[in-house]
Amino acid sequence: MLELILSAIFTLVLLALGYFAGGYHERQHIASLEAREAALRHMVVTQLRSYPGWVPGDAPPRLIVAEAVIGSDFLKTFLASLRYLIGGEVRSFRSLLDRARREATLRVLEEAHAAGYNAICNLRLDSADIGGNAATSGQKGTVMAAILASATAYQAARPTY
Amino acid sequence: MIVTNTETIAGYRIVEVKGLVQGNTVRAKHAGRDIVAGLKNLVGGELKGYTELLTESRRQAMERMLAQAQQLGANAVVNVRYTTSAVTAGAAELYAYGTAVVVQPGP
Repeated sequence: MLELILSAIFTLVLLALGYFAGGYHERQHIASLEAREAALRHMVVTQLRSYPGWVPGDAPPRLIVAEAVIGSDFLKTFLASLRYLIGGEVRSFRSLLDRARREATLRVLEEAHAAGYNAICNLRLDSADIGGNAATSGQKGTVMAAILASATAYQAARPTY
Repeated sequence: MIVTNTETIAGYRIVEVKGLVQGNTVRAKHAGRDIVAGLKNLVGGELKGYTELLTESRRQAMERMLAQAQQLGANAVVNVRYTTSAVTAGAAELYAYGTAVVVQPGP
């Protein structure tokens, strides 16, 4: 009986840790994403295979790749395990994947910007399978969203519409 | 060496196609990283160890691909793609492939 109570307390502590620490990390991350996205809003971002608005620049177009692995927290994983029982949208993992994609895209954009480019095209976002434990593979273990983003950076004139 | 993931390169003309080039690497995450990731999994946040693992793997696969392209006498690789596959729970493969070409400045 005591063991049961102890394990229940332990789970509650972990849930609280997930709620407070996980929530804190998520809010911090989203705030950071929004600030960095706002700073790079002038960049032309497309997933077209052509080069919209291309103008001759100093450097030839260049492939830029970046990756981001965002881990789940105990609360998210717990909520998802409840969701597996009744089915439906697993909202806690949706935000996880969303954050990983935005982070990977931003890293590509930041590298492109630092190298003097102002546009990227053919942006590709793939989920990277590292060790068969990715959130996307639906297996137990470390729950994470691993995203690999690649794009070609080039110089573009401001598009006019 | 110009590398892009598009089929064409703006400002350049493809004059010769040398063929497919590829590079891969299988890397394992060491136990320390797994433990840190396991703890990080309670509180959320970026798993930096795994991000680094992916970055290292991608650079290595890319280097191998570019070495092949160089050997073929190409000066550019176009339409580069990446795929990953998990070999076992502890190791993952990163595979980069593209088409080696010779390009010249021009329309």
